Amino acid sequence: MTGKQRKRFWNTIQIILIVIAAIIMITPILWIFLAAFKTHVDVYQLKLFFTPTLENFSTVFDAPYNLGDKLINSTIVAGVTVLFAIPIATCAAYSFSRFKLRFETSMLVMILATQFVPAVVIILPFFVMFRDLGLLDTRIGLILVNLAIVMPFAIWMIKGFIDGIPLDTEEAAMVDGSTRIQVILNIVLPMAAPGLFTAGIFCFIIAWNEFLFALILTNKDAVTLPIGLALFKGEEGDLWNLLSAAGIIIMLPMFVLALIIRKHFVQGMTMGAVR
Amino acid sequence: MRDNKLKYVLVLPAILVVFATAVWPLIESLRLSFTVGRLTKPNFPQGYLGWENYTWAFLEEPAFWNSVQVTAVYTIVTVVLTTVLALGLALLLAPGGKFRGGMQTLLILPFAMSPALIGVSFRFMFNPEFGLFDSFFGIIFPPLAEISWLSDPTLAFVVVVMADVWGWIPFLTLVLIGGLASIPQDTIEAAQVDGASGWRVFKDITLPQLLPVLAVVLILKAIFSLKTFDQVYMLTNGGPGTATQTLSHYIYFNGMKYGQIGYSSAVAWLMVIPMIFLTYLYAKHVFKKG
Repeated sequence: MTGKQRKRFWNTIQIILIVIAAIIMITPILWIFLAAFKTHVDVYQLKLFFTPTLENFSTVFDAPYNLGDKLINSTIVAGVTVLFAIPIATCAAYSFSRFKLRFETSMLVMILATQFVPAVVIILPFFVMFRDLGLLDTRIGLILVNLAIVMPFAIWMIKGFIDGIPLDTEEAAMVDGSTRIQVILNIVLPMAAPGLFTAGIFCFIIAWNEFLFALILTNKDAVTLPIGLALFKGEEGDLWNLLSAAGIIIMLPMFVLALIIRKHFVQGMTMGAVR
Repeated sequence: MRDNKLKYVLVLPAILVVFATAVWPLIESLRLSFTVGRLTKPNFPQGYLGWENYTWAFLEEPAFWNSVQVTAVYTIVTVVLTTVLALGLALLLAPGGKFRGGMQTLLILPFAMSPALIGVSFRFMFNPEFGLFDSFFGIIFPPLAEISWLSDPTLAFVVVVMADVWGWIPFLTLVLIGGLASIPQDTIEAAQVDGASGWRVFKDITLPQLLPVLAVVLILKAIFSLKTFDQVYMLTNGGPGTATQTLSHYIYFNGMKYGQIGYSSAVAWLMVIPMIFLTYLYAKHVFKKG
């Protein structure tokens, strides 16, 4: 083979491998998408072509499943978690980014470390405390513990964004007599807004997909979507068409959000370890 | 307010949240780990036991050792498989362009999927009657056709590993593509001009330069593998028997199903120890950059 032929050959092999990888990645998702539009009978046959139905989507919202309640719970819990997390994280991130603090490294390591504490360790004391306070099966309880998992991501992500904002505009405004608070509100916040938005979406996805806390703390009123999946275990086994419809309702909004912030996804997850 | 005061006021709320949601529960669960801690009985936590919960786990509970073993094998296998496959995929996709770029975008999707849902979808795919993978593996390797994957201890473990690897490859690939992009192209081109083979370029230039990123990926994946709960719960619920019971699942089961908060807190703390070590390694990497 000549050099050119060999290059073409390798390129073809690469494309074949990429296509295989793409198929493996997309099949489980696609299969759920297909099953969600199948009737109960069609699910039990490996059909690729079938008459699609929207019935599953209305069934999951009816009694006894009432997925609508879970959708509302998930939206409120994830939304309020973000509304608390982002302002608190922004204040801290600005301070970490712009000032030298005593114990700065220790504080940052501690914040980083909280993300690695296994959720089962955190949740046992919370379960006991919430039981005594009557906070079990409430959205408030769930929001409180969700703050634990999103906070480290939010602080590290936003710190990364603020680190990237040049200092000179801030310094110029200070020379002109602005106070630090004015500088933060009028200069830093507008410039960091896209970053705050990105961090907010990232935290929303994490809170939305959170499973263990909701499994342990809720059983009826505050049940979120991922826990709601357990509803579709019928007596004769899993109701796959309904499970799939619920699955789409859980994952489709997150796909859209994830695509919006796709450029920052990696940075968010690694918390600045990889740039 | 002066800056030297304001800077501490600004971090205070965040530090308070971290204390309340992470530091306090850690200390409290350490305290509970020395108590009887029965949820179903009055006067919780019913007095102190000393180290009894810990010695009980070590000496009297084969199920504890089983979950340690499951978690250890699971962590090693998933870390190695995910990293190797993600590295391969990253090398394939790194050159960029429209086709490869589109594939990179596609990789975001599995990562935005809730791990619980990944568990559900894999249980669906491996359903013995109408699962897609089940039929597929039956075609390429007929003896597997009649096998019910999730009721066989070894195969169920294989499926849990597959689900995990499937869910994590995209993220690791994206991180590694980022790492590959930061390697200066001129050394690679110079080597190619000198006639070095693709493998030589990879082994002598790409791999050494990628090592720091690879280290981060390995530590991060090990941390997440050790914690695994959601997929296992939805996919096999630890079964058949305890064949896929990870430590997180074992702790959940003892704490929530049997109400043994004291004992499960002790096991939870045994799990914190390797985590502290991994977090230390990770933090070292993060701050070396700063």
